[in-house]
Amino acid sequence: MKVTVKMIGAFVHAAGFSERTFDLALGTTTDELLEIVKIEKSRPMIVARNGQAVTPGEKLEDGDRVVVAPTFSGG
Amino acid sequence: MFGWTGNILRVDLTQKTFRKETFSEEFAHKWVGGRGFALKTLWDELEPGIDPLGPKNKFIVALGPIAGIPAPNTGKTVVAAKSPLTGGYGDGNLGTRVTEQLRKAGYDMLIVEGAASEPTLLYIEDDKVKFLPAAEVWGKGTYATNDWIYERYGRKAGVLNIGQGGENLNLYATVRSLEGRSGGRPGMGAVMGSKKLKAIVVKGSKPIPQADPDKMKKLGAADLRTVHEMDKKSGWSIQATTGILAWCNEVAALPVRNMRKTRHSDAWKIDGERLDDARIATYGCPTCTMHCGIAIRDHEGRESELDYENIGMLGSNLEVFELDQVGSLNYLCDDYGLDTISAGGVLGFYADAIDRGHVAGDFRFGDGERAKELLRLAALREGDVGNMLADGSMRMARKIGRGSEAYAMHVKGLEVSAYNCKLCPGMALSFGTSPIGAHHKEAWVITFELNQTVRDSYGRDKAEKVIELQRIRGGLFEYIIACRFPWVEVGWELEHYPIYFNTITGLHWTLDDFWKVGDRIYALMKFFWLREMPDWSRKMDYPPMAWFDSANADTDGPIAGKVLDLEKYDGLLDHYYDLRGWDKRGIPTRRTATALGLDDEARQAEAFGRLED
Repeated sequence: MKVTVKMIGAFVHAAGFSERTFDLALGTTTDELLEIVKIEKSRPMIVARNGQAVTPGEKLEDGDRVVVAPTFSGG
Repeated sequence: MFGWTGNILRVDLTQKTFRKETFSEEFAHKWVGGRGFALKTLWDELEPGIDPLGPKNKFIVALGPIAGIPAPNTGKTVVAAKSPLTGGYGDGNLGTRVTEQLRKAGYDMLIVEGAASEPTLLYIEDDKVKFLPAAEVWGKGTYATNDWIYERYGRKAGVLNIGQGGENLNLYATVRSLEGRSGGRPGMGAVMGSKKLKAIVVKGSKPIPQADPDKMKKLGAADLRTVHEMDKKSGWSIQATTGILAWCNEVAALPVRNMRKTRHSDAWKIDGERLDDARIATYGCPTCTMHCGIAIRDHEGRESELDYENIGMLGSNLEVFELDQVGSLNYLCDDYGLDTISAGGVLGFYADAIDRGHVAGDFRFGDGERAKELLRLAALREGDVGNMLADGSMRMARKIGRGSEAYAMHVKGLEVSAYNCKLCPGMALSFGTSPIGAHHKEAWVITFELNQTVRDSYGRDKAEKVIELQRIRGGLFEYIIACRFPWVEVGWELEHYPIYFNTITGLHWTLDDFWKVGDRIYALMKFFWLREMPDWSRKMDYPPMAWFDSANADTDGPIAGKVLDLEKYDGLLDHYYDLRGWDKRGIPTRRTATALGLDDEARQAEAFGRLED
């Protein structure tokens, strides 16, 4: 399945890309995706899937868009 | 008394006189500084109902006990007055060398009264005060004025100035300092302009009284290094505040087309990544550990310093997606001394009203060149269009009529900052209950809301979080005076601030002591509103009606078909009032006033409207 990942802020440098589409195995979770894109899970971050916050272990689906952003607290 | 100089400088521009006054320890402990000092002074000294742009209004520069001390991000100053934009208490903070210089000159607060007959530069150097002519720079922008001042007084002087916006009484004119600092969104620059006060220049040479200066020096130096390292490690400064634009676009919270839309396929063209790529310089405030101002070349080749609010309101909200053109709009706002958020809100509202045939005009969304010309007209109040735009969206809607009030994106007259709350009830509550109008600085709850709650919920937890953040952001950081970014963006714990405060004052305060001060300030700001507007109703705490209009719902994306629910918002507002100890109108009860030490103020407020027990 195809999943597009968008990085924001410092995560662009940490992952080495800004936006990229990945071909993933069916049933891949958001946690597994973070390992694939080499983002340490201990790092403070907010992750959204199709514009909604993800729950732990959430399974991804074909065509999903995942956004990884720093824990902005606001301007 | 340590921590405070104990002195106020009171200046009368009409009479060209000044005097040094003292304040009591009780006043210091009750109101602490900054917003607290300014609010209490304006409450005590302003006649109710005065014209905010008349000589009876007072312009206040207020500092806090840790302001100007070498410690993380303490270079902030509060400017305040009765707001000409909202009619209520108005203030803002900005990074400036005035913070340190005014403290070293021996003052915690400057009160400017009356009005000069000619353009004036107020010069303060320790115990000396001079009223100097400023006609040479009247009519000039803030950059030229700043340079003119630097040539005469050196770059280390503390400077506050206004541009043509403030001179011409544009109601969202701000006070400016340094290269890119701006504060006082609710028209504080217009109040300076009404007094023909072009600039304030301050130099000081006295030590700031501290209980334990050696300890503070070591502590401050170590913490400055630590927070800077935390920022470097987190990478926050790479995009600084501008990183949030891409996130808002992804989660459907970006202001687009006067907030009609929440996302745009071209948003990436002006996002933090593009801004970082285009960066030519980075700027911060005095004692800053994590510089947030990203400067780029604008369309005309000038240096323009941007943050998120600028690219959100002058970019996506106007559908201007050429980064250099957004830079130009930002530069012009900074040079004219206009608030970029309100300017973006006003121009967005104007384009929307033209689109709907509610007013005649030639401005369209996406037209950056015409937007530049409109900013000039608004700053100079040139012609009917310039005069209308200079009055802000609330007054524009009253003038235009035809139902346009529903999409004038303001609260209490102050334009909404760059977060589109079409489906963010908690953030809408934050804007609605912000006591100076829709400002994000009071309680930025949107990431909590979208990541830790059910987005489309109106529970008490959201009201609790808004109050928690108001106590910290609109409270602590506005009266102790420090920039909130080390805490809010890289996790510098709040517990550091009582340590600074106690080291400087010799007191033994805890965070709970600070929360009470914040609650006291929020309650008195509500009494201020009641005094100015005896027919106050809870509707003043509503966000713009466009967010409740189902015809305005997104047609696709994460929040397609959904908008805020007014009945549920009212329930959320009830939670908020209940938690604060305010009545159903949103006015503090007598019991709450007593608990906060506001009995006298409550009695005074009752002359303008009843208080519930």
